[in-house]
Amino acid sequence: MSEMIAHLQLGFGVALSLQNIALAFAGCLVGTLIGVLPGVGPIATIAMLLPITFGLDPVGALIMLAGIYYGAQYGGSTTAILVNIPGEATAVVTTLDGHQMAKQGRAGVALGTAALGSFFAGCVATLVIAALGAPLTKLALLFGPAEYFSLMVMGLCFAVVLARGSILKAFCMIMLGLLLSTVGTDLETGQERMTFGFPPLSDGIDFAVLAMGVFGFAEVLRNLENPETRDVVRAKIGRLLPDWNDIKQSIAPVLRGTAIGGTLGILPGNGAVLGPFASYTVEKKLAKDPSRFGRGAIEGVAGPESANNAGAQTAFIPLLTLGIPPNAVMALMVGAMTIHGIIPGPQVMTKNPELFWGMIASMWIGNLMLLIINLPLVGLWVKLLQVPYRLMFPAILIFCCIGIYSVNNQPVDVAFTALFGLFGYILIKLGFEPAPMLLGFVLGKLMEEKLRQALIISRGSFMTFIERPISGGLLAVAVIILVIALLPSISKKRDEVFTE
Amino acid sequence: MSLNKIERAQGLRVRSQQDLAAGLFMILLAIVALVLARDLPMGSLRQIGPGMLPKAFAVICAGLGVLLALSSLRYHGEKLSGWSWRGVIFVLGGAVVFGLTIRGFDLGPIKIPQLGLVVAGPLVVLIAGLAADDRKIKELVIFALVMTTFCALLFKYALGLPIPLAPWLLGI
Repeated sequence: MSEMIAHLQLGFGVALSLQNIALAFAGCLVGTLIGVLPGVGPIATIAMLLPITFGLDPVGALIMLAGIYYGAQYGGSTTAILVNIPGEATAVVTTLDGHQMAKQGRAGVALGTAALGSFFAGCVATLVIAALGAPLTKLALLFGPAEYFSLMVMGLCFAVVLARGSILKAFCMIMLGLLLSTVGTDLETGQERMTFGFPPLSDGIDFAVLAMGVFGFAEVLRNLENPETRDVVRAKIGRLLPDWNDIKQSIAPVLRGTAIGGTLGILPGNGAVLGPFASYTVEKKLAKDPSRFGRGAIEGVAGPESANNAGAQTAFIPLLTLGIPPNAVMALMVGAMTIHGIIPGPQVMTKNPELFWGMIASMWIGNLMLLIINLPLVGLWVKLLQVPYRLMFPAILIFCCIGIYSVNNQPVDVAFTALFGLFGYILIKLGFEPAPMLLGFVLGKLMEEKLRQALIISRGSFMTFIERPISGGLLAVAVIILVIALLPSISKKRDEVFTE
Repeated sequence: MSLNKIERAQGLRVRSQQDLAAGLFMILLAIVALVLARDLPMGSLRQIGPGMLPKAFAVICAGLGVLLALSSLRYHGEKLSGWSWRGVIFVLGGAVVFGLTIRGFDLGPIKIPQLGLVVAGPLVVLIAGLAADDRKIKELVIFALVMTTFCALLFKYALGLPIPLAPWLLGI
C-alpha cells in the first residue's frame, strides 16, 4: 500500500509538471475534437493524431496520447448521444437511451452523467492499475517464451470470440494480420521475406501505414458510400448537471458499471468491448421497470458509460505489464510507443519508472481534463457535428497524408497507405471487420519470436506449450472459450448481444 | 414442408455472394503469399527457418478461405453491394498525388519537382473533395486553402515537423 502511494507520488510528480499538464489538456482537446466527428472512431482518431506527438519526449508523447485516447472515447459518446451515430462498438449501447434522452431535451443531463460517471470510473480504474501494476509485472517475469506465446494465442482467441459479426471472418482477419506481420527481414537469418524485392518493405510493413490505410482511408470510403442521415438533436441541450433525482438513480449503475467494465477490461483480448453491453443488460435486469430502457432511462447511460471508461483504462494493464495489447486501440499504443523507442512490457516499469507511473498518473489527470473540457464546450461539439461530411473527409485526408509522411519522411509511405486503403475497402466490402487484423499484425512478430525461442529451448517439442503449467492453462482457457463460442446456443446469444 | 427443408431441397447454390467472394479473396491472398515465400527455407521444429511461419499462416488463411466459401453455399448472407469507384479513385488518388508532389519524385522518365505542402496540400483536398456527391467547387477551393494554411501552421510551426513547405518558392 505504502509502495503504491510512493509510486503514485512519483507519477504525479512527473505528470503535474506544467508542460505535461498542458500536453494532457491538448491531447484531450484534440482527441475529443476529432473523436466527436461522426464516422471517426477512436482507432482512426489515434492513428490520425499520432504524428502530432512525434516532436515530444517519450513521457510527454505518451501522456498526450493517453489524453487523445480518452478524448476520442468521450467524443464517441458525445456523438452517440447527440447524433445517434456510434463511433465504435462500445458506444452502440449509449445511443439507445442517450439519444432518447437528448430527444426529450435532456441531452445536457445525458452528457453530464456520462462525463461524471466516466470520471468516477476513470479514478477507480487508475487506482486498480496502480495497485495491480507492480504485482502483475512480477508475475510477468515468471513468463518464459512458451508462456508468452500461449498468452498471445489466448488473447487472439478472445479477440476472435468478441469480434463483431462472423467468428470465421474474425478468425480470417487475425490470420491475415499474422501473415502480414511476417513480411520483411527475418529476425534470425536476415533473409528478406515476401518483400517483392522492394527495399522500403525490408523493414516490414509500417504499422502506421497499415493502421491509417485500413482505418483512416478505408473508413472514409465506407462513409462516402452510405449517404448519412445525420439526425443531430434539435431539442435544447438543457442544463448539464444532473439534479439530485438523477444522481440518486445513477449512483448504483455507475458503481456496478465501473466494476463490470474494469474487470472485463483486464482480460487479454478485447474484454473491454463487452463492458457496456454487460452493464446495460445488468441494469435492465435489475430495474424495477425495464420498459423504461430504450426510452431515455438515465441508468442506461450512466452504467454503460462508466463500464466503457473503466474498461478503456484497465485495458492498459495487459499492455503495460505484459507488453501484450488486448485490442486494436492498444495495438496502436504499442505502435506509438515503439516509434518513441519504448518496447512495452514488464521492463518498462523497472527501467523507466518515471514514464510508467507518470503515464498512470496522467490517466487520472486526463479524466479530470475531460470533465473540465467537455462540459463547458458542449456547444462547440454541437457546432462541429453540423459540419457536412463533404468538407470533413478532405480535412481527415490531409491530416492522414501529413501524418504518414511525417512518420519516416518518406513520400512512398503515403502511396502505400493509399494501397492499404484500397485493401481495407475491399475487406469492408467483403464483410470483414478489420480491427482484429491490426491486433494480429502487432502480435505477429512477437509471437514468432517467442515461438522460435520456446522451440529452441524445448528442442523442437511442441509439448512444451502443454507441459508447462501456466502455458498449458492459458491454452486450455483459449480452447474452452472457442468451444463455448462455437456451441450453437451460445453463438445465438452472442448474435443477440451484438445486435441489441 | 418447412422452409428449411425447401431450402435444403434446392441443393447447393450460392446463398451468400459476399461470403463466397470473401473466401476466394482469402485463398487468393494465401496463394500470393505462398508463391512469394516459396524459396524461403522451412527449417526444422528445432530451428525454425524463415519460411515456416509465413507458409503456415498462408496455409491456414487458405483453409479458412475454403471454409468461408463452402459456408456461403449453405448459409444465407449478404449480397455484394455496389462499389463506389469514384471514392476509390478520387480519395486514394488524392493521397497518391500528395505523396508524389510533397518531396518530388523520380521514376524513370517522369520527374516531379519538390513542390512542398503549399502545392500538395490544396491538391489532396481538392482531388479528394471531388468524391462527394454534394460537392461545391467554390467552397472546396476556399476550404483547401484554409486547411493548407492551418496544417502548415500546426505541423510546421507549432509542432516543428520537418515538412517542406515550398522549396521552389520560399526555400523552406
